Amino acid sequence: MAEPRPSLWERIRESSLYRSIYRTRYPDQPRWQSMVILQSLALHLHPVRVPKRATRLTYTWGLGGLSVWLFLILTFTGVFLMFYYVPDVPGAYFSIQNLATSVTFGQFMRNLHRWAAHAMVLLVFMHMTRVFLTGAYKPPREYNWMVGVGLLVLTFLLSFTGYLLPWDQLALWAITVGTNMAGSTPLVGGAIRTALLGGFSVGPATLVRWYTLHVIFLPLALIVGMSIHFWRIRKDGGISTPIYEEEEIGSHVQLAQ
Amino acid sequence: MSSLPSERIEEEGAPKPNPRERFFEDVPEDELRRVFVWPNLLSIELIGGLLLLLLLGLLAVLVNAPLETLANDEKTPDPSKAPWYFLGLQELLLHMHPSLAGVIVPGVVILGLMAIPYIDRERVGTGIYFTTKKGLPIALFSLAYTAVWEVALILMDQYLPAAEGGHGLGPYLHTVLGWPEWISAIVVPSAIMLFIPALLVLLVRRRWQADRREVMIALYAFFFASFWTLTLVGTFFRGESMNLVLPWNLPGFTQ
Repeated sequence: MAEPRPSLWERIRESSLYRSIYRTRYPDQPRWQSMVILQSLALHLHPVRVPKRATRLTYTWGLGGLSVWLFLILTFTGVFLMFYYVPDVPGAYFSIQNLATSVTFGQFMRNLHRWAAHAMVLLVFMHMTRVFLTGAYKPPREYNWMVGVGLLVLTFLLSFTGYLLPWDQLALWAITVGTNMAGSTPLVGGAIRTALLGGFSVGPATLVRWYTLHVIFLPLALIVGMSIHFWRIRKDGGISTPIYEEEEIGSHVQLAQ
Repeated sequence: MSSLPSERIEEEGAPKPNPRERFFEDVPEDELRRVFVWPNLLSIELIGGLLLLLLLGLLAVLVNAPLETLANDEKTPDPSKAPWYFLGLQELLLHMHPSLAGVIVPGVVILGLMAIPYIDRERVGTGIYFTTKKGLPIALFSLAYTAVWEVALILMDQYLPAAEGGHGLGPYLHTVLGWPEWISAIVVPSAIMLFIPALLVLLVRRRWQADRREVMIALYAFFFASFWTLTLVGTFFRGESMNLVLPWNLPGFTQ
């Protein structure tokens, strides 16, 4: 009796192209469930297995992961906006108007970028609160908590630098208020304010500086910070699990050396 | 955790006390069993990510990002407001010296947050919401305590009259009593900002015999409530000349 003919999907999976990309079979058995994590660049941020509690929505609320997801959405929509945006006075304003009126999906992408940015500030803040409430900052995770606070500050700065870019009344005066605050730093306030503004008031030089910070420097700084943050989660023993007594320390936390 | 010898003698014969009784939750052993990330965690992450994208996509379809008229540095809108997450700081500006409100307070807050794990170094209690059963009542009390204090202080600064048409405690001390500005705008507000959390720590220590972690919970709740109280007041209750108004009397975005 002849073998049944393989289906198209089976033939694709057996092809040398497919097998050069995905080295594991569909992960429905423990061996392949391990391999799929270990052999994927993106997935290997995760360990192969986690405590069941870590998958409980009511423990983490997924806030850290969703913050990363928002960063990806913001990068994608941000690059789209960069295709059309001109960091020029008053050209910036007209490029935003143009985006809304004559670019396919222009208004939608700008809206998505704006609301995702607000959501990211909110979710990063809530993530910090969750980590605090579960005591997940306690040793050995104290350094990673500090990195996390730094990431919160970077998130604020990214959002704030983006606020100026549309060059409308809302942007100009919000940034005037904000830089005046920074200008009141004791001793060095004047110098900080001048450096932020590229002059004595919000103008073309400010726009170029903040645009550069917004699209290159701060995102790169955030990526570096996030890399340390994720790496240290794993090195510090993964997601926090309950410790009720001294003796338990060490049995639950397996530090990767 | 460790019971005194005398207690141990008394408890002999009685049912063994559960050492986990003092904790807010006792996570069942089953929850600590390790499960495969594929599919147990990845499926949840995928669904969560898609739901968030869907929600934001809907919002982006329904609500346009604001775009006002072209920037004009000769036409100052009243009120001029920073983005919402800085409105808490902008609210502080109304009550004290700008160096204090705009730089020193946020700087101290960031350093204070970073210092938390170096002050509370006890590893027992990790991974448990609020850690002990006292954690939640302490947090709720601290939230309410902070919000009441701050709303009261904001109202006082609005309605306490000072000379030269001004109002508020700082201007009153400066213009009516003639105190120098560095005392009325820096020393007095700093003292108030230190007194509120200090009294809070004292209260939770007295009322709940709070340990270090529980004191941290009280202080984080103080920070959390301050951020949101000031942000909400700055966003919804500040109108022309940054005077207190009710939200429905706020001037629209475009005058």
